[in-house]
Amino acid sequence: MIIENVLAAIDVLLTVKIFFLMAIGVVAGLIAGAIPGFTIAMAVVLVLPFTFTMNAIEGIATMIGVYVGGLSGGLMSGILTGIPGTPSSVATTFDGFPMARKGQPGMALGIGVWSSFFGGVIAAVCLMLIAPQLAKIGLEFKPWDYFALMIFALTVTASLAGEDLVKGLIAGLVGLLVATMGEDVVVGVPRFTFGIDAVQQGFAFLPVLVGLFAFSRLLSDVQDREKARKNLGAQSAESVKIEHMKAAREILKRWGNLLRSSMVGVFTGVLPAAGSSISNILAYDQAKKYSKNPKEFGTGCIDGIIAPEAANNATAGGALIVMMALGIPGDIITAVMIGALLIHDVTPNPNFIAEEPVIAYSIFIAFFISNFFMLALQSVTLRGFVMVTKVRMYQLAPVILFYCALGMFALNNVDFDMWALFWFGVLGFVMRALGFPIVPIILGVVLGDIAENALAQVIALSTDPTHFLIRPWSLFFITLSVFSIFFSAWQHQRGTKVWTLWFIPVFCIIMTVPLLMMEGYVRPVFGVGLGLFGLYVLVKRYRAGWPLDEAEFIPEVQEAEHLNE
Amino acid sequence: MNRLNRDTIVAIALLILCGVFFQQSFGILTDAFRSIAIGQMKPDLWPQIILSALTLMCFIYLVQSVVSPPPARDKRGGLKGWLAHYLNPILCYITFLIFLLVMPYLGMLISGFLFVFALMSILGGFERRNLVVNAAVSVVFVGGMWLIFTYGLGVLLPRNELYPYF
Repeated sequence: MIIENVLAAIDVLLTVKIFFLMAIGVVAGLIAGAIPGFTIAMAVVLVLPFTFTMNAIEGIATMIGVYVGGLSGGLMSGILTGIPGTPSSVATTFDGFPMARKGQPGMALGIGVWSSFFGGVIAAVCLMLIAPQLAKIGLEFKPWDYFALMIFALTVTASLAGEDLVKGLIAGLVGLLVATMGEDVVVGVPRFTFGIDAVQQGFAFLPVLVGLFAFSRLLSDVQDREKARKNLGAQSAESVKIEHMKAAREILKRWGNLLRSSMVGVFTGVLPAAGSSISNILAYDQAKKYSKNPKEFGTGCIDGIIAPEAANNATAGGALIVMMALGIPGDIITAVMIGALLIHDVTPNPNFIAEEPVIAYSIFIAFFISNFFMLALQSVTLRGFVMVTKVRMYQLAPVILFYCALGMFALNNVDFDMWALFWFGVLGFVMRALGFPIVPIILGVVLGDIAENALAQVIALSTDPTHFLIRPWSLFFITLSVFSIFFSAWQHQRGTKVWTLWFIPVFCIIMTVPLLMMEGYVRPVFGVGLGLFGLYVLVKRYRAGWPLDEAEFIPEVQEAEHLNE
Repeated sequence: MNRLNRDTIVAIALLILCGVFFQQSFGILTDAFRSIAIGQMKPDLWPQIILSALTLMCFIYLVQSVVSPPPARDKRGGLKGWLAHYLNPILCYITFLIFLLVMPYLGMLISGFLFVFALMSILGGFERRNLVVNAAVSVVFVGGMWLIFTYGLGVLLPRNELYPYF
């Protein structure tokens, strides 16, 4: 079955047109990634209007090209100038820039490019293997479970997206509230129109998303008058030749680091709101911990480039896994992709892979192929990408704002979408300025209708709320939601407060309950193992007298969370 | 305005907003929809669940801002300082607003060119050399994109009222 689907997807994808579109997408992503201050999400948003006239597969293949290109584009300016093109490449500069300054820019770029490639390919394999299995689990979900999953996605996003959990939750709820405006999804009753006829149809998802994210982000970038007038990156493009063979050999010699960093990337991508800006630093930190020569890190060490670059490209695979299998966006970019799929009447959900196997497997294959395009195009057009960083923000911002307006108009050919872009741009900027994270609002808008539909089904089936507690998957997600609320506090106070020492063991013990309720042997046995592990850690820490110096704080991860948006 | 005041004011504003939305939510269920079958979710239930949770969170936010005041921030010199700090974004919004208002009359191409050129000049400065570069960039990027959307993608973009060819 899998082979049949893969062959069907290859048959659809192997056309000159789609290859050309993917190549254009990768180039656009590489350019966007090379420009400091220009995020990958913005690049995907800008490419989106061009996909309206394409079919779903062509459109999504183009956007995946942008996604993969963008994740790798940041390493160019990061290694050659020390200024990361995107937050995903922050850790790459720690060792990439010193190596380039030591007279090995070609080697540093080679390591970066090939690590990105290998990380992407490993993530593509994970995507193909894990997403269909996760979707099979998703098919077990009933409306109670699906609603609880939505709640979990929102709480974990609110918890991970910013410093302040309350602000994160308020942001997520504002997003849900925005999604209720217009006709309700069940019986079509208009809500919160405030007498404005245009609002009756509700806000189209994309103008809201682009306004909240891209519009407000751009204006934050031009806030500083002096900075807006300066070059974004390099003053001069160096003539560098990438050392491909040598770099690839060096990376393969360090396959353990490559594999570990890629898995860190995939796992981080699976978590909503924890994107590549976090994974690259987490992977760097892990590589340093496991290294035999940790003191070499920061001086131009090869492992220090492999880890962040493999991880940031692998994150895309993780984000796509949850998007494909459960219909939940792993980050803003996959949220835009869900929007693009909705335009083509394709709704990602647990049935998606089973119902639309050709589209689903086309996404898997497109992600795989895009990594090859990235490898080839990054090498050929290196000099051009570094030249791009000479652009100034005051020139870039108006052009992008115009493109955003044009794209949103093209969505439904109505002015109202441009006005929505404007008003949500204002809202996004104000919320950003007041310290509210943007990602939970966007997730709230994306998940609003889906959650309401699930709740409507729950109520149609039974009004008994205890179903949420007696169904294993529902209880599983509710337990995760409760613990995710405290996760942010645990992360900040880890090792400094006693409660942080029993947080994880207690979590493991409690998670045993829903796992034991599940059918079959594997999950209950896993649950028992998890419970025993939790008990063991708890007893161990109790006997040790709750030692507070046990856990280690990673300040870089907290810094990266702020860069995530 | 220090952060304590700011957070408190924001929390109060959010609570007022919740009140307004709650009041609106009671008007959702008109007589025509009161007879929805038993067991079917009423259209006002989900918004009211969200609003209840939002009100609770805003209340916690309010209490938090009063009980545990956040560290004091740098003062920006009152209204003048605030305006100076946010001048560029405010100018961007005003320019974009004007672009939206004139677009139905001037069309996407002309209003788009004027918007991009004006905003570039406002943000980058009005030196003669800058103006020439800004005009060239505006013509190339706005014109190029207009051509792609109009002739490449077949999108019917708004045209100007006097000379409706572009």
